[in-house]
Amino acid sequence: MRTTRRQFLKAWGAAAVAGATLRLHAAPALAQAGPVKIGVLAAKAGVTAPVGESGLRGTQWAVERINAGGGILGRKVELVVEEESNPKDTVERFRKLVLQAKVDVVVGVISTGVGLAIGPAAEEEKRLLLMWDGTTQKGVEETMPKPRYAFRSVDNEAEAVMASILTARHFKGKIKTVAGINNDYSYGRDNWAAFLAIMKRFGLNVTPVAELWPKLGETNFTSHVAALQQAKPDLIFCSFWSGDAPILLKQAHAAGLTASTRLVMTTAGGVHEQLKKAFAPEGMILGYNSLYFEDPKASALSREFSRWHQEKFKEWPTYESDHGYFTVVGYKAAVEKAAKAAGGKWPTVEQVAEALEGIEVESLSGKRGYRADHIMEATYFQGLSTHKNKHDFVTLESVEAMSTKQIQKPSGMGLYDWIASWNV
Amino acid sequence: MIQVLNLLLGGVFHAAALFLVAAGLQLVFGVQKILNLACGSFYALGAYAGISAVKAALAAGVPAPLFVLVLIVTGLALGVLGPPIERLLRTIYDRDEAFQLLLTFALVLMLEDVIRFVWGAAPAQLGNVYLLYGQVRLEGLRIPVYNFIVIAAGLAIAAGMGLLLTRSRFGGIVRATAENRSMAQALGVDMARISSRVFTLGLVLGTVGGALVIPAGAAVNEMAIELIVEAFAVVVIGGLGSMRGAFVGSLIVGVLKAVAIAVYPEAEMLAVYVIVIAVLLLRPAGLFARVTA
Repeated sequence: MRTTRRQFLKAWGAAAVAGATLRLHAAPALAQAGPVKIGVLAAKAGVTAPVGESGLRGTQWAVERINAGGGILGRKVELVVEEESNPKDTVERFRKLVLQAKVDVVVGVISTGVGLAIGPAAEEEKRLLLMWDGTTQKGVEETMPKPRYAFRSVDNEAEAVMASILTARHFKGKIKTVAGINNDYSYGRDNWAAFLAIMKRFGLNVTPVAELWPKLGETNFTSHVAALQQAKPDLIFCSFWSGDAPILLKQAHAAGLTASTRLVMTTAGGVHEQLKKAFAPEGMILGYNSLYFEDPKASALSREFSRWHQEKFKEWPTYESDHGYFTVVGYKAAVEKAAKAAGGKWPTVEQVAEALEGIEVESLSGKRGYRADHIMEATYFQGLSTHKNKHDFVTLESVEAMSTKQIQKPSGMGLYDWIASWNV
Repeated sequence: MIQVLNLLLGGVFHAAALFLVAAGLQLVFGVQKILNLACGSFYALGAYAGISAVKAALAAGVPAPLFVLVLIVTGLALGVLGPPIERLLRTIYDRDEAFQLLLTFALVLMLEDVIRFVWGAAPAQLGNVYLLYGQVRLEGLRIPVYNFIVIAAGLAIAAGMGLLLTRSRFGGIVRATAENRSMAQALGVDMARISSRVFTLGLVLGTVGGALVIPAGAAVNEMAIELIVEAFAVVVIGGLGSMRGAFVGSLIVGVLKAVAIAVYPEAEMLAVYVIVIAVLLLRPAGLFARVTA
């Protein structure tokens, strides 16, 4: 039987009306049953790959538990994961998440370069962006003066500030010369500068006798170790956070440097299982940023996560997992808070943004939250390293926990002005 | 004085590792006329495989001091990858250089993902074997004997390559093919076999190099790219296709970097490229450039 044009149009018309009716009736039900989509920008390749992986694990665990508990206001959470790579491509993927996948919020981002590019994109698209990391300071004031939708992580100098305070506490009067070996980019430069400023502030009067700047990704430090041996510093300050940390320690140990010189490794806790006892010394100031896996004062939540992580991945968690966990849990808390204020309806993006300001939740490292200026507040863990443990890598002999209220510059104040204002 | 020696040794150590990567690059370019960007990936593969092999060997009861042999054997064993990869690259020998760069770069990216898939994203290392052979003590300085082993291995391989290329029949054929491919073919040289063998040799230079150096450091996902960039500086300085150029170029890069680190650390990254620019301006073909048909 041939379909006439009239019949064809009738059939289509009927289908369209049926579809519209169905959609109209289904609308309220769908809005409640539809999942909350969280976009994730996680680094997968290159030097930030282990960090991205760590963050993603924290996010996934948070989502698993949230869904097991019924989701956010009854809606299940779904993750849409994209890769964080260079700034240009990552901004494109951000837009893809926001415009195509229509995610409710985007979490992730570790590289400062990407952060600087993506913050303005979030403001433009009017979409919440909760960054895990990437907050070395320069350029942020220009690109994101008063963000509404973008939320940033802890200032990247916090670990250097804490390590410097601990250096002054443990080594004052014992060191006259210092040397720095830091990666040659904003993070390394800013941390070394902060360290020197704080040494001065505490009246340590140390002289820098060597300042080395290997590029991020360098894998051979025999020449750097030789240069450090020549300079003979009393203390070496190092902000390595990736594979270069164990390599440096190994080659420094082989040259006898770790026996004769004190060490400060602000962020090497990020690769803590690589700091083998065979070459990592005791008594170095070692920083784990916002998650120390064996904190004796850890909460039950934190212990559960560490156990889960070790069982599933055969390695202990590192700090980015807590950034990953907190951004999801913080978002949930803000949605619930804003919904309550909005009379039970699902809140708008702007309402959630407002609710995030000043929020405080329980994370894997204790209480964590956002300041009114959209910057994270968290707890940082550092201490002196020890071999007295049941692992083949070093851990902390005693754990020092400091809040970002102590080690992160307050809103509206420059880092160096803040250091100058300390009561010492 | 001893400090200067220590410095130079550090530079030569780095040069040895670089030479092994650059030598592979030069060999393949000489014969197949393609710039194999994946030379750094072979080095990375050797490093990761070396770690797994030594860990397995030690667990199986192989006496620890034999770990160097395990590393060398692992590097050589990875040679089985040579023929299939060469087959893949054979499709672009006569194509535009852009295709060659694209394909070998694609190989780099794929191998990086393979490495991450097999060994994971976290850095990998051999924790305890670096100091197994002890340290040399000189006036308060301590230098691991293993560093000397790597340098010696680099020299031995350089000498071995030299002998192979100048004294053996295979070497003669390789040099002839590099100089004038069509003539060599006309004289009955089996291009397919030579290409396959040369590529495998180049690959093995990289994998053995990576395996040998790994006890002194750690393997990270992105190590291939770092090495490729430096190997290129070596090759530009030394001249494309020249083994002597790879040797001298590596020494220049290694020692210069060491000197920069000691004297003016801010120029660490810059120092090598200043030389590259100087060579490009004064002797663009490189210090030991060959004349090829």
